[in-house]
Amino acid sequence: MHSNRIARRTGIAAAALLASIGLAGAASAQDAKKLDEGSIKYRQSLMESVGGDMAAIGNILKYGLPLTGNIVVHAEGLASHAKLVGSAFERKATSGPNDSEPAIWEKADEFKEKTRAFETETAKLVEVAKAGDPAALGVQMKATGKSCGGCHDNFRKPKEESFKRKGGGGE
Amino acid sequence: MKRTRNAGVAALGVTIAALLIAANASAEDGAIDRGRAVLEAAGGCTCHSDGKGGGGPLSGGRAMKTPFGVFYSTNITPDPETGIGRWSDADFVRAMREGLAPDGHAYFPVFPYTSFTGMSDADVRALKSYLFTLAPVRRENRPHDAWPPFSWRIAAAAWRWMFFEPGRVEPDPAQSPEWNRGAYLVTAVAHCGECHTPRSLPGALDRSRWLAGSKDGPEGDLAPNLTPDVDTGIGLWTKTDMIWFLQTGQLPDGDDTEGLMAEVIEHGYGHVPEPDLQAIAVYLHALPAVRNDALAEHDHDHAHDPDAAE
Repeated sequence: MHSNRIARRTGIAAAALLASIGLAGAASAQDAKKLDEGSIKYRQSLMESVGGDMAAIGNILKYGLPLTGNIVVHAEGLASHAKLVGSAFERKATSGPNDSEPAIWEKADEFKEKTRAFETETAKLVEVAKAGDPAALGVQMKATGKSCGGCHDNFRKPKEESFKRKGGGGE
Repeated sequence: MKRTRNAGVAALGVTIAALLIAANASAEDGAIDRGRAVLEAAGGCTCHSDGKGGGGPLSGGRAMKTPFGVFYSTNITPDPETGIGRWSDADFVRAMREGLAPDGHAYFPVFPYTSFTGMSDADVRALKSYLFTLAPVRRENRPHDAWPPFSWRIAAAAWRWMFFEPGRVEPDPAQSPEWNRGAYLVTAVAHCGECHTPRSLPGALDRSRWLAGSKDGPEGDLAPNLTPDVDTGIGLWTKTDMIWFLQTGQLPDGDDTEGLMAEVIEHGYGHVPEPDLQAIAVYLHALPAVRNDALAEHDHDHAHDPDAAE
């Protein structure tokens, strides 16, 4: 009688445990999907910020706007954002519309090297912007752009495969 | 007395000779500087540099992927054995403006003599003067890897006979000097159309869609539409955007440029004087807008390609 109850209760407990594991599994799969989605969206918004500051400096320089003081702020924005690129790509999220090449995670060391180069060039950009020599600024802007391209070359999908063209939102 | 006069004449002769030599040297220097400017306006002749493959600048060997196979650029350093060191001025002008090698065989049109034919002889000669100041690099030319019949030499000659229209870019008196300068640079020296104009089946430029973008750009990349169409071209770019882009490689939205375009800016267009870039921008902005979504064409071609994006 007593052992029967134990057996019954053990059975219930086991079933409950299994069910909870199942639920947890389902929940974590759902969480993972959500994290992937969010990581991709975050990466894209970070890159938009970087592009925005690059375009802003470009516009001040190419039109000769009397806003050269603002360049330091945009350069600082770039330098701070550059430090976030590594963490933004830590999670290997590749499903759904996005422009990341799997090489980011397959060649993680090379990718890291490229993000470091971007950090170095943007930090230099801040210094050059503070010094205020427009010619040096032009040169450093080119170097910064080259560090963007140095990474995009192998780690961003080519334009013909861009997520923006596949109904992925954006422009 | 006579002696003095003779000495005077001799001195005068020496002075004149020295002046002539100096004038000649400065004319030569002028040609070299001009040649360097021509090289830069031509995008640095970067297709002749195979940096990724470990080749020195302008010593050839760069792979050019085309729908007809892979072609390798040639050594244009003045090395007498493997480069152009033994070429005469006439050889060089004929190669550039007529697409014929010194031995008379026709080049494959992957070498854009179809554009360079529009250049002035003076610019072409100046370019040669500059190239001959460079250090010769010994590097054998690599045979092309095209598919028959495109790999046959006779095919290059046949192509040339069918599609090549020789002749300088002539100024249009109805247009401004700035537009005309831009037309000369874009059409002939900078040879923009070679990548940015779509090609017909036999690989001839489709001039009805001049500069309207091509899905078969260099090295398998896409070459965007350069006409001022708002949706598919550069209709929303200002002339200032274009000049800045050619100087720095930065797109109006802040994005960078990659691939061959980044290289031709770095080694070429980025060094072109601003008035010439302004002329290029004026010319491009005055082009008839052509609606051509090269990206869509690319998608269409790759619709059944398992390697295409998801």
